[in-house]
Amino acid sequence: MTPDRTIRQPGRWAVLAALVVLAVVMLFPFVIVTLNAFKSPAEYSSGGPLSLPHGLYLDGIVAFWNRVDFGLKLWNSLLISGVVAVAAVVLSVLNAYALGIGKVRGRLWILVLFLVANTLPQEALVYPLYYLSKEVGLYDSKLAVILIFTVIQAAFGTYLLSSVLGQFPRGILEAAEIDGASRSRMLWRIVVPISRPTLSVLLIFFFIWTWNEFFLPMVFLIANDNQTVPVALGVLQGEKMMDATMSSASALLGIIPAVAFFLIFQRTLTRGVTVGAIK
Amino acid sequence: MFRVGRSAAVAALAAAALALSACGGSSDDSNSGSGGGSAEGRTLTLWHYETGNSAMGTAWAQAIKDFEASHPGVKVKFEEKGFEQIQKTASMVLNSDEAPDIMEYNKGNATAGQLSKQGLLTDLSEEATKRGWDKLLSPSLQTTAKYDERGIMGSGKWFGVPNYGEYVMVYYNKDMFEKAGVKVPTSFDEFTAALDAFAKKGTTPIAMAGAEYPAQQLFYLLALNKANRAWIDSFELYKGKVDFHGPEFTYAAQTISDWVKKGYIGKDSAGMKAEDMGVAFIGGKYPIMVSGSWWFGRMQEEIKDFKWGSFLWPGQFAPGSSGNIWVVPEKSENKDLAYDFIDITMKKEIQNLLGNSGGVPVAADPTAITDAQNKELIENFNKLSTQDGLAFYPDWPAPGYYDVLVAGVQELINGSKKPEEVLDEIAQPYNDNLADIAE
Repeated sequence: MTPDRTIRQPGRWAVLAALVVLAVVMLFPFVIVTLNAFKSPAEYSSGGPLSLPHGLYLDGIVAFWNRVDFGLKLWNSLLISGVVAVAAVVLSVLNAYALGIGKVRGRLWILVLFLVANTLPQEALVYPLYYLSKEVGLYDSKLAVILIFTVIQAAFGTYLLSSVLGQFPRGILEAAEIDGASRSRMLWRIVVPISRPTLSVLLIFFFIWTWNEFFLPMVFLIANDNQTVPVALGVLQGEKMMDATMSSASALLGIIPAVAFFLIFQRTLTRGVTVGAIK
Repeated sequence: MFRVGRSAAVAALAAAALALSACGGSSDDSNSGSGGGSAEGRTLTLWHYETGNSAMGTAWAQAIKDFEASHPGVKVKFEEKGFEQIQKTASMVLNSDEAPDIMEYNKGNATAGQLSKQGLLTDLSEEATKRGWDKLLSPSLQTTAKYDERGIMGSGKWFGVPNYGEYVMVYYNKDMFEKAGVKVPTSFDEFTAALDAFAKKGTTPIAMAGAEYPAQQLFYLLALNKANRAWIDSFELYKGKVDFHGPEFTYAAQTISDWVKKGYIGKDSAGMKAEDMGVAFIGGKYPIMVSGSWWFGRMQEEIKDFKWGSFLWPGQFAPGSSGNIWVVPEKSENKDLAYDFIDITMKKEIQNLLGNSGGVPVAADPTAITDAQNKELIENFNKLSTQDGLAFYPDWPAPGYYDVLVAGVQELINGSKKPEEVLDEIAQPYNDNLADIAE
């Protein structure tokens, strides 16, 4: 026991040190952003990005908020991400129920197809989606973005959930079947409640991923009234000029909602992506 | 437990359905709102991507006010866009019903030229002669307004109207010049002597950014010192053949390489970005920065600790051209209003305001510019323009050429490749593009 401990102790310290270094590296950009968000442009230019701000300069944040009507952008992002997260989870559950538990013929190939669809770069999707949405009159509407991301996120969700549900304890399902439960009853009353931790994690991921999307929303949300937070942040990147302090202010405003969302739901997240066993 | 699960799922579905129908409705509303084309209550949809407090932003905000005053019943719906969004989505937007009535767009073959070739822009030739824009703009400024049927600038029909000009010049720190006893150079020899004086004192004279446009513009400036107008027309407008191993580019590549060795340019500048360069100059770390008039407003606002000024590059030519242009999309529903708006932006009052706000107007009254620094900026531009000195930009001739030049000049600064090798490297994509156009 004693020699074992002496060997383990320095090892633990090394792990701790490595984690601290990693945490500092991860947090460093956020610190820089926060520092510069509260600096005036003149302060930034004379002191550089690493200097400490002299006092709190809030004009950058306020000016940015008003310039892009940030409240509206927040609402747009919230609406799009929220609807996508819920709809994509529902769609994933329905798909995965059929593929994972229902054992549809050729399900392996269907899953491979979903996986391949997942790896497609969004740039490749832009033109087909553009023409489709123009044909059905959805170009420049939030609905177009919601539909697109529901499908994109559900493709990943289906893939993940199918393999999770593939391991679903058969005993429970068989018991329900003997009790005479219909298939939809089994889905909503047994499978969904038991996989709820997994579904919550998916919901949170879908929300945050959709929130952070830039490219497709930029292409499909043309009117300023429809735009999301990341697209609004793009307004600050000029052709040759960038406004470093205002960009920092906007970046801070942009990440706060996602961080807040994460903090609220982090308990669900840490429960992990595993289905609860037989209770 | 089962009941809770179910009601939650139902509620979620209901919420999703509600939200879906809600946003479907709102998008319909906005469509019917912006589509007005009747005589009463018309709306001019206008997009640009200049910040509100820049010279262009200030002048155009005033132009919108003037327009609304002279067009009662017409509302201007202005939307500030991101540069990247316009660059990446312009051809898609202009091909749809969501196209604005008038917008700012980048001049050049790969941007406005491309759109004009695709038939997405309105031909403005008739309006240009009718309203006298062709008289207000000097020939070198008109280069970026006209595009031929291949989408190549310089001749053909008018597809855009520039409001402002831009050019590359030398910014200098007056305090550092004074302290080192260096006078403002008036010739190229004096300029290199000044660089040498700083280098001998252990100061790197030129703030440079190898990772972005500034280094290639310096490279081009040096080539221009050995060039004439025919060479520029060959290089930029394909009017003749360009020998990359001719005296112009050979001199430029050799000089950059020499300047790094002599310490006029820092070796570490190869990895610097334009923003780093600007911040270093504003922070008083370098006496000289060679870059464009787009920095001017920022210098005025942010340099507090020392006196600064600008002078023209010692030579006949400098990179420069018209600024971005107003274009009228082919799908615009209010073309007549768009022409009226462009006309207002070309009026003396708006042009003077642009000049007084730190921009380079194209049709201002020089006596109406009050600030001494602004006056210097505009007078230098007019001098360059009248000596036929606007030489456009080195990355214009071929799509993707910007990155080719960044890589090439970086290698010169690093010293990782010899000047002749770099010239071969930048010749290849240029000649490939020529072959493409000829097809």
